[in-house]
Amino acid sequence: MIQVSELHFSTEDGVKVLEDIHLRVDQGELMVILGPAASGKSLLLGLLGAQIPPQRGQILVHGRNVARLGPTKMLSLRQRIGIYPQGFVPLPRTVHENVAFKLRALGNYREQAEEKVLYALETTGLIRQQGSDALELSSIDRIRLGISLAICHDPLLLLIDEPFEGLAEEEKAEIARLLCRMNTGHLTILVATRGTVPPGLAVFRRIRLMDGMVKGA
Amino acid sequence: MTMQMFLFRELLGAIRAKSATLFAFAGVLLFLFLASVACFFMITPGSVARSTEGQPTEEIRVFLSPRLSSATIDQWFLEWRERNDIAALRFQFAQEFDETASGGLFILTPVDPAMAAALASEFREIEGVTEVVEVPRELAIETPSVSLLIRVSLLVILVATIAASLFCFRRGFHELLTAFSGEIRMLRLSGIAERTVFVLVVALGVLMGLLSGVFLLAVLYLFHQIALSNAEAFSLFGGLVNGLRILSVGLTVMALGTVLGGLAGLLGASLLHGHEFDALP
Repeated sequence: MIQVSELHFSTEDGVKVLEDIHLRVDQGELMVILGPAASGKSLLLGLLGAQIPPQRGQILVHGRNVARLGPTKMLSLRQRIGIYPQGFVPLPRTVHENVAFKLRALGNYREQAEEKVLYALETTGLIRQQGSDALELSSIDRIRLGISLAICHDPLLLLIDEPFEGLAEEEKAEIARLLCRMNTGHLTILVATRGTVPPGLAVFRRIRLMDGMVKGA
Repeated sequence: MTMQMFLFRELLGAIRAKSATLFAFAGVLLFLFLASVACFFMITPGSVARSTEGQPTEEIRVFLSPRLSSATIDQWFLEWRERNDIAALRFQFAQEFDETASGGLFILTPVDPAMAAALASEFREIEGVTEVVEVPRELAIETPSVSLLIRVSLLVILVATIAASLFCFRRGFHELLTAFSGEIRMLRLSGIAERTVFVLVVALGVLMGLLSGVFLLAVLYLFHQIALSNAEAFSLFGGLVNGLRILSVGLTVMALGTVLGGLAGLLGASLLHGHEFDALP
């Protein structure tokens, strides 16, 4: 599903952010990437999500080498990946409109989009708030909306960056339970976090990024 | 509704009061630019009045009877050519002036225009001469160059309006893209091609340019109707009474407006590659 080998990444100033990363994630697996701030977690997710072109090394996602993909195939791959970005900010619309916008922009017709919106909101437990202003949601609901947006187009890979930021312990556990529920079937999930892993996710494989290197699983 | 149409509608929905005001200004300025271009084609060409009143005689036309023999005509030609008071002499057939006329005529230029009248009287007395016409010198009088002044003013307006219009367009697009930045970020994360938004912004520019052109076409038609009933009021813009010209100029400026709108759109879309929008996650 995902295979990373000899991945290196440096900033324009020559600072090494990722160094010789080797990684393998199987289809349907949920994996947690741990590490302190600025350890390269978000960058790694950006590289896996084909948002950032790799500089050195190989990244295979769905059997496709990200480094060698042309622009069209790169976009096609991105459309099969769901991303929850760190510090997610929703659009100033209702919850429903947020998800519908993405689906319509991806070419879904109104009825088709409607169906997928409801499914995504049901999955994340936001169905009752679908008419609410997204900017006025609580922290946990905002994260739920971000996850709804990431899963609404039925991706094969879900990349979630810092989903527990600003949440109380109980809320973290709730998001962890949500991620566990979604980890059924073909969906591969990678969760990056700098804090402690909530109990619900403790059973899954973890890797630790330190100074741009994988320190241990 | 296709994806592009949906996104275009969303982009239009992101127009706020400030961007709308800037786009309105830009549209009006573009309209003024196009109107100035149209005016160039409507100005009456620098009118040249020709006056013969009070002017000295330039030539005398001596019409000959068709009954005259060619020998007589030849003889007169030789005699008159030798005269000191005639500077130039040539023979022409009268039909060259009037298809129904017959016979020939001498066209002679007097040495001294003041003596033309005496010469004409003398030729009138000759038997075989049917008519003598004194042709005074035509004096071309160009009307004061109002048209030149208008042209220079129009050029200044052209430069000023297009520069101001593009400036307003750029500011307007900046405002619009700022309001749409959340959606742009989401589109990028979703794997929507960058060129999709680029094309939409250009399309918006084209639409505004086209609207300016269509509006100008309507205004030109209105002025055409007014000019038809009151041509004197539009003496400087004589082209307004010509329907075909109105149509051709109208369509030309409409096309020009569309192209300029597209250029303005390109200018706006180029902001997407600027630091501010390129840095969006």
